[in-house]
Amino acid sequence: MSTWTYIPQLLSSGITIGAIYALVALGFVTIARASQIINFAQGEFVMLGGVITFFFLKVMNLPYPLAAFIAILIVILIGFVMHLSVVYPLRKASIVILLMATLGASIFLSSTSGLLFGTLPKTLPPFSGERPLQLLGVSVLPQSVWVLISTLILLIFLYLLSHRTLLGKAMEASSTDPLGADLLGISRNLMVFLAFGVSAGVGAFAGILITPVFFTSYSSGTLLGLKGFIAAVLGGWGKNSGAILGGFVLGIVESLSLAFIPAGYKDAIAFGILLLILHFRPKGILGSPFMDSRRW
Amino acid sequence: MVETKKNEFRKRDLFYLVPLWLLSLIAPDPYLYHKKEFKKKDLFYLGAIGLAPLIWSDPHFHHLMVLAGIYAILSLGLSLFMGYAGQISLGHAAFFGIGAYTTAILTTRYGVPIFLAFWASAASAAAIASFIGRPILKLKGYFLALATLGFGEIFLVVLRESTDLTGGVIGIFGIPWFSVMGFIFDTYLKQYYLTWGVLVGLFVFSKNLVRSKVGRALLAVAASEDAASSVGINVPRIKLEIFILSAAYAGLAGSLFACVMSIANPEAFSLGLTVLIVMMVILGGMGNLYGPIAGAILLTWLTDILSRYQEYSLPAYGMILILLLIFFPDGIGTRLNVRVIYLIGYWAKKKKRDEGKL
Repeated sequence: MSTWTYIPQLLSSGITIGAIYALVALGFVTIARASQIINFAQGEFVMLGGVITFFFLKVMNLPYPLAAFIAILIVILIGFVMHLSVVYPLRKASIVILLMATLGASIFLSSTSGLLFGTLPKTLPPFSGERPLQLLGVSVLPQSVWVLISTLILLIFLYLLSHRTLLGKAMEASSTDPLGADLLGISRNLMVFLAFGVSAGVGAFAGILITPVFFTSYSSGTLLGLKGFIAAVLGGWGKNSGAILGGFVLGIVESLSLAFIPAGYKDAIAFGILLLILHFRPKGILGSPFMDSRRW
Repeated sequence: MVETKKNEFRKRDLFYLVPLWLLSLIAPDPYLYHKKEFKKKDLFYLGAIGLAPLIWSDPHFHHLMVLAGIYAILSLGLSLFMGYAGQISLGHAAFFGIGAYTTAILTTRYGVPIFLAFWASAASAAAIASFIGRPILKLKGYFLALATLGFGEIFLVVLRESTDLTGGVIGIFGIPWFSVMGFIFDTYLKQYYLTWGVLVGLFVFSKNLVRSKVGRALLAVAASEDAASSVGINVPRIKLEIFILSAAYAGLAGSLFACVMSIANPEAFSLGLTVLIVMMVILGGMGNLYGPIAGAILLTWLTDILSRYQEYSLPAYGMILILLLIFFPDGIGTRLNVRVIYLIGYWAKKKKRDEGKL
């Protein structure tokens, strides 16, 4: 009986974390659409977004929007540097090598962040007020509303970028038909470079949104990145809409599972869903444009 | 217009050519190794393994080499799965952990003799591999990597949460030393001979395996699954078999790890260990059985040196991994061997070229 009364509350927190998963998944998909590379350091961009904003806000005492803006710029720069120093030299290597190199980058980024900014978990003040709002009998943190609105705006921005601009079309072309893209004079390396920037920016944005709700520590990026990837696979690998759907589904299911199983098993839920979806429908819920492609 | 030759031999090449040539005398050559299964070099390695701890009789060195031997068993199994069958697994840390926990639980809770628990570890890891292998091995590439990684993470969560069975985050203490018929392996030196003895046994087994029908079939699967199935190889079955075998290797390694450390806790089997052992296989060179052992020694030694620098060790570790991957994507030995063979060939032909055409 008492379990069911928690459901609406869990649903609201599930939607909040689902929005974050959706953003992380979008970061993966952005890079995959340009190059069919999977960047396992995506979660570290999220972590860095939160931690660097905290640094500028609390240590340098800059105003909130300025701190967030600088943090996003820095993380985008890190994304560019990571492409140039890790992915670009290995662009012709096999999957295993790329996988291990991005995992190495992930180790490097998380431990360097622990070294520079300290290993304590960090939290940011909410964007506006801490008093929970009452919506339909459910208390909702104002930050959750901010997360949803910001996610929506970012989604519209990314949709316009990938479907309504020449740049987005060029990015997609360089992934689906590399030879054709070469013949049309699209620089594939430049596209991957830009995709890394966009994906790092989205990741940092997600990090700033999530840090007021959940604590961010130097080691929390890896798991968040993995769950974002699971969300992208769940919804349909390589589709923006799939990433968003997968993110929300994963967030809600994970959150609702808290009502029925011990909290410690929460992390196993996502991976259990992953194994199930990979077994029964590897294309994901919405289907994937890449499944017949060369690399998988 | 006279073009200058790019690959002109220079005297300063001798600076690295001579040491590399000396190295090539003792290093196994993956390309020229097809005449006999075991060569005189293998006897040399065996002698080196036997004598090394007696020459450097330093306990720290012994301990390091025990760890290297355990990781070498683990990466030898992974090399069969990744190097020969061409699959990806990021879940072998979990099989390692299953082996360690089987030994820990059987010996501390039920008083099973350690020698039986050793084999039970391999059996339990193999059983779980056969259970999850069938659905997972349908996948390829990144998805296979992700699925095995997911299995590893689920295993970690179960370890942390099922406190009654596994002791939760704290783990299980007081695992007895390895012992056979009353002989207890209680010093690092004895454990060294134990681990490297097991390693040599498994190595001989693997060496024979990869030159058998199964090994040939594995190479065919790695090259092309469609082509392999068209010549009558049961691809899903052989992938599953090699997955189970490599899991059993990992289980044995985990059992030895539990005996040597006398503690099993979840932190030892996390993603960091997976990264480490996959790097060992890659650095050793895919499809080469000597490689993973060399990679295991190299990386164990590297992590030991790095651990002296406390908080700087992990950033340096990540950076070194990336650099190694960029400069030696086919493994360190392979790249060196190719370079040495090329330069020796160039040197040998140089005189003829000078007399003849130029």
